Amino acid sequence: MTDPTDYEILLNTLDKAENGPIIDEKEWDHQYISQTVQELVQKYDISWATDDPMVPWDDDFADRVYAAGLEMALRTGVYCLDTKRQMLWKRGELEHILKRTPRQVTVGAGEDAVTVYSRKPDDSTRVAIFGGPWGVPVTEELYGPFIESYAQEPVFDLVENATLLSTHGRQIRAASPWEAVAGWQEAQMALEAIERAGRPDIAVGCVEISTTEVGELAGSTYGGYRPTDIHHAALISEQKTAYHQLIKSVHFAHTQSFSETYFNPMYGGYVGGGPGVAIAIVSGMLLVKASLGGTFCNTGPTHVHLDCSTHPDLIVATGLAFQGLARNTDLLVSPFVRPTAGPGTKEIFYESAALTIATVVSGASLIDCVQSATGNNTLYSSPLEARFCGELSHSVEGMTRKEADPIVKKLVNKYKSIQGERLIGKPFTEVYDLESLQPTPDWLDLYESVCEEFDQEFGLSVN
Amino acid sequence: MSDWESKQKQFIKDILAGDEEAAVSMARTSLEEGATPVEFFENCIAPSLQDVGKRFETLDIFLPEMVTAADTVEKVNSEVIKPAVAESQAGESMSLGKVLLATVQGDLHDIGKNMVGLMLKVNGFEVVDLGTNVPPADIVARAEQEQVDIIGMSALLTTCLPYMKDVCDFLEGKGIRDKYPVIIGGAATHPEIAEEMGANTHGGSAAEGVEKCKMLLGKL
Repeated sequence: MTDPTDYEILLNTLDKAENGPIIDEKEWDHQYISQTVQELVQKYDISWATDDPMVPWDDDFADRVYAAGLEMALRTGVYCLDTKRQMLWKRGELEHILKRTPRQVTVGAGEDAVTVYSRKPDDSTRVAIFGGPWGVPVTEELYGPFIESYAQEPVFDLVENATLLSTHGRQIRAASPWEAVAGWQEAQMALEAIERAGRPDIAVGCVEISTTEVGELAGSTYGGYRPTDIHHAALISEQKTAYHQLIKSVHFAHTQSFSETYFNPMYGGYVGGGPGVAIAIVSGMLLVKASLGGTFCNTGPTHVHLDCSTHPDLIVATGLAFQGLARNTDLLVSPFVRPTAGPGTKEIFYESAALTIATVVSGASLIDCVQSATGNNTLYSSPLEARFCGELSHSVEGMTRKEADPIVKKLVNKYKSIQGERLIGKPFTEVYDLESLQPTPDWLDLYESVCEEFDQEFGLSVN
Repeated sequence: MSDWESKQKQFIKDILAGDEEAAVSMARTSLEEGATPVEFFENCIAPSLQDVGKRFETLDIFLPEMVTAADTVEKVNSEVIKPAVAESQAGESMSLGKVLLATVQGDLHDIGKNMVGLMLKVNGFEVVDLGTNVPPADIVARAEQEQVDIIGMSALLTTCLPYMKDVCDFLEGKGIRDKYPVIIGGAATHPEIAEEMGANTHGGSAAEGVEKCKMLLGKL
């Protein structure tokens, strides 16, 4: 059981879902979200042009984005889909929650423990690397080797899971006994994989198959995932929650589990374009912390047509939002690196690098990398692109935003015109040797050539 | 510039601005000047909405503006076009067809499904939107009740795919599978999954979903 103050916060949050004003969902989307964002974009003068910096270094600009996001969080709150009620926080409540945020947290255990720090813009503090296939669908027979191939990468401080396509040959059906079976199977296979990789106590992102609370409760009970792992819950776009997510947060509190809670606003959706997304990220990170707890707060804003988080406007929006959050809170925030390109392509490195650099210099505490080819294609992910992100992250620790800006601009120019082509590349089975769990020579050569390019063009030592 | 071209240009401005009064007024004036409701629909409403859909595809406009445009046109249709059609007893339908949309059981994500619904509307379809987390039996029952032409289902999560297949199985079990073409979409889906579960087709994007619906009804 957590201490009374934390527990009281949790109970108060649950109360809000039962007692807030009743609102129609369409009204929520159109008036509470869309109109509020549009108004705040104007009020706080949040805008940028295509030739403006892609990694702005204007602190006043970042603070305005934060102020707009804070106002949005306080005015709108969160919509509970089960009760159709608006969950609202008073300024004092939100400030209290933020004040209780630790400036550093150690996750995992034993020799695999790692400390994640709150960081500021232009900070040289070490950034943590959360590597994994991030929900990419995978078959049962390849699940173990797939996760093991990630866990063996020394640059990863934490390792994330993939999504099982079946369990014991059966379809996995949300909120059914099969979700419980899959939760158990995932935990067993993931924990065996990290054991084989020689990192038995590394923190594992879980429960990936947990569409509802069923998978989480099944996969993290006795013998399954551990409190030292990183458990997930999310706000649904835009700023919505549901009982099953709140149940997960109750479970995290009772088991004193670490968690990463996330929210992905939609670029081109109800929050509009880049400036609206920047405000929505700040608002969402504050509200995901308030409503679901969360040791870490993550965002991967999503382009409505491309599904990626690496569109040029999203690089600016995410960086700005992170700067605002880092300058005004101690939240441990992470970007979700989700490129359109996949393994076996050069573009996956460019896309991933642009967002990684922009967010490391803007104050990200950890980097969630990489949901390759937007995560929708079975087995289209490999550890090498995440290794690249991890190494790159460390190479830009201490770099200023102003120094990062021209690099990010050049990287974006390398991919922005072809994102629509969706270069999904090749599956894991074609870019990795399944016996040695090492990249194929072709894939490794491409990686090394890009590392060389980064060294020559940007002076960044990646490999 | 022809009269219809200039009207359409103004109509687009009005619907994007959500100026219901101006849009309704233009429709009324056009009918008073001798245009039939079908002519106004075909020369002004339909091309304007297609233009709005294309602007959203390129993100020259965002979802809220498309919602505003669709809602404004709904007002024009309900206040001017439909009454005029009923009065003239032309009996001519201006709808390409009626599509039932639902995010299936277990899934609460609705933005993708809403985008498809709007794109269908702006391209001339009627849409019956059942919302999110809809059980298979409810989808089949409402399809029968509403006499829809197509059943469209969305899922973001792989664990919700079995509920899509249930709909195909339920239709089969009731002996009405051929009555309802089924289209699926969403991040968890792809063409092979559609084929495996017995759906007729797959929409990889909102725009492609519209084209596939037209194809299913032989209107492409």
